[in-house]
Amino acid sequence: MTTSNFRPMQRRDFLRKLAITTGGITVGGSLLAACGGGSSTTSDGLSIGTPQNPIKLPVSTDPIADGLANESGTLEILNWADYMNPESIAAFETKFGVKISTSIYDTEEAAVAKLRNGTFKPDVILGMTDTGLAKLIAADILQPLNKSYIPNFGNVISGLRNPYYDLESQYTVPYFLYGNGIGYRTDVIDKSAFAQNGYEVLWDTKYKGRLAVLDSYRDTLAMAIFRNGGNDANSSDPDEIKKAGEALIEMREAVNPKVDILGYQEIPAGNRDIQFLWSGDMFTAVQYLPEGVDPGVLGFWYPETTVTKNDFMCITKAAKSPVLAHQLINFLSDTDNALLNREYVGYQPALETITVDMLLASETIPESLVDALVTPEKYEIGLAQVTLEPEVDALWLEQWTAFTAG
Amino acid sequence: MRRAPRLWTLFALPGTTWLIALFAIPFYAVACVAFGTIDPIFRDAVPQWNPMSWDFTQASQTLASLTSGPLRGVAIRTVVYVFCAMVISFTIGFPIAYFLARHSGKRKLLFLALIIVPFWVNYLMRMLAWVNLLSSDGLFTRFMRLFGVNYNWLDGSPITVVLGLVYGYVPFLILPLYATLERLDWRLIDAARDLGANSRQAFRLVTMPMSKAGLVAAGILIALPMFGDYYTNDLLSRSPSTEMLGNQIDFFLNASSQPQNGALLVIVLSIFLLVLMSFYLRSTRQQARQTTR
Repeated sequence: MTTSNFRPMQRRDFLRKLAITTGGITVGGSLLAACGGGSSTTSDGLSIGTPQNPIKLPVSTDPIADGLANESGTLEILNWADYMNPESIAAFETKFGVKISTSIYDTEEAAVAKLRNGTFKPDVILGMTDTGLAKLIAADILQPLNKSYIPNFGNVISGLRNPYYDLESQYTVPYFLYGNGIGYRTDVIDKSAFAQNGYEVLWDTKYKGRLAVLDSYRDTLAMAIFRNGGNDANSSDPDEIKKAGEALIEMREAVNPKVDILGYQEIPAGNRDIQFLWSGDMFTAVQYLPEGVDPGVLGFWYPETTVTKNDFMCITKAAKSPVLAHQLINFLSDTDNALLNREYVGYQPALETITVDMLLASETIPESLVDALVTPEKYEIGLAQVTLEPEVDALWLEQWTAFTAG
Repeated sequence: MRRAPRLWTLFALPGTTWLIALFAIPFYAVACVAFGTIDPIFRDAVPQWNPMSWDFTQASQTLASLTSGPLRGVAIRTVVYVFCAMVISFTIGFPIAYFLARHSGKRKLLFLALIIVPFWVNYLMRMLAWVNLLSSDGLFTRFMRLFGVNYNWLDGSPITVVLGLVYGYVPFLILPLYATLERLDWRLIDAARDLGANSRQAFRLVTMPMSKAGLVAAGILIALPMFGDYYTNDLLSRSPSTEMLGNQIDFFLNASSQPQNGALLVIVLSIFLLVLMSFYLRSTRQQARQTTR
């Protein structure tokens, strides 16, 4: 549940806004799905890996055999909007002589629901996170990977080759990395403001009406917890959660923030000065700068205490082209292909072979945004976000409602 | 002739089927979600189909939030926004409908088309266009600056949201209102004038009472969707300070692990609208009684 609206990838504003309407349709869809009735699973809950308690996921089938031939025809992928470079898709199609057909999801919850009821039947899923993974495993939707098809797995950053959410990477290969932080206009705010005041800058009345936070209750409430001096992104302490909610209300009274995921457009367009957002948004923002504006106006503060995350690629059990599916994962984990993919997506591939120096040398990243890059060190100290117990989740939602209800 | 009543009943069949399939059953499903449980693994709604085992604990919490908690402000704001939007819609819509019905003469069709044509464009497209017009360097903002109005329209402003609602729904007010006014017997007004009423009195004492049913119908027609609207707000504001009930329903159903709350808000809103509807039905019945008298 942590990832509602969480993906800022909808680069085309228009598409994103269309998603609002499809959201309306999803309401009906999920009610209908609920009418199916067969979905109720009684259990003690999800088995969730955390950095403290990493998890080896259960395996109910064998991976595909070694050395199989590639299938022909069409490879179905399920992905966020604009989360793969069309040029990369074309390159894969040419290389393997197949077609890629893409379905789009806009919330992880909806994607999992539609995978369960069979609306989506992709071979490969891109961009899932650990919270979605736990549900996909519970619903027995994924197949284990055969790494002999994915030699490029060795390129993955070392911290993610044996991730806590999927020990031994049985099901997943990391896709992109990002961290939560603050994007801002360098022509309005000086970098030193953050060195002095940190998160407190978001409460500064100077930016009233020019400020936003993420429309993601887990991310934004966690930020408020950090601002209050805490360091638990998955806090179950009612008092700490309540104080975080109060801090957001205080912010609302002081600066009337917007709550959305549009910082990647609004900051470059000059409509707002500062937003709490995902680091990758700022790279996307570069492409939204009006012509002639120096990319140096875009800045990012990477807090010391913050959430870092990654998403990943995985293959469904029902995949019609499992070998091709492995090939796609391998293809996207290749250094050059990942760089090409990044040029369009903006986010940072989770590959060790793609270093900060390499990205700077590519001259697609302005100096002012170097801080938005997730180095392996930053990833190491970043805090993980895991699925909350329902009772705890309810506490978070209660505070979020209190904040958003205005 | 004796078969006639049965035949008429048969005529009601498609409508009844429609109502049962697309209203009664879905509404029951919404109630089953609202008073059902949550799947512990997938955290989505597990509807409780048996009303005997409906669980009201979550619902009572949400109701408490509506009456005295954070949702109370949202509910009040929703009512205020819709009320303001309706007042403005009437102020704009009534004269237009009146003009169309009474004074447009031969160009009636042209004017009617001019009002309707913009609304052939998808609602989202029109709202997105407004987002551009209202942005800080947008045409409208710059135009208003000529008159010394320097306002940040997209700053999470209630004015923008209310005007967005008006813009989105006003044609649905004009059309039914026009239909009512068109059918008015204008000779009655002439009679009123002959009997000594001035034009204002004739309007107040004859035109207004005669168009009351149309006014109420048109008002209800736009009030219903306005109450549930969330995307106008999503596109034009996105600020907690303008959050409406529709936004909360959207959040709970689409992006939270408490879809029951969303379902419950749907029910509460429906009951509220039902009250409005019954007011409408009563007033049309009165109207019918008056005209037959």
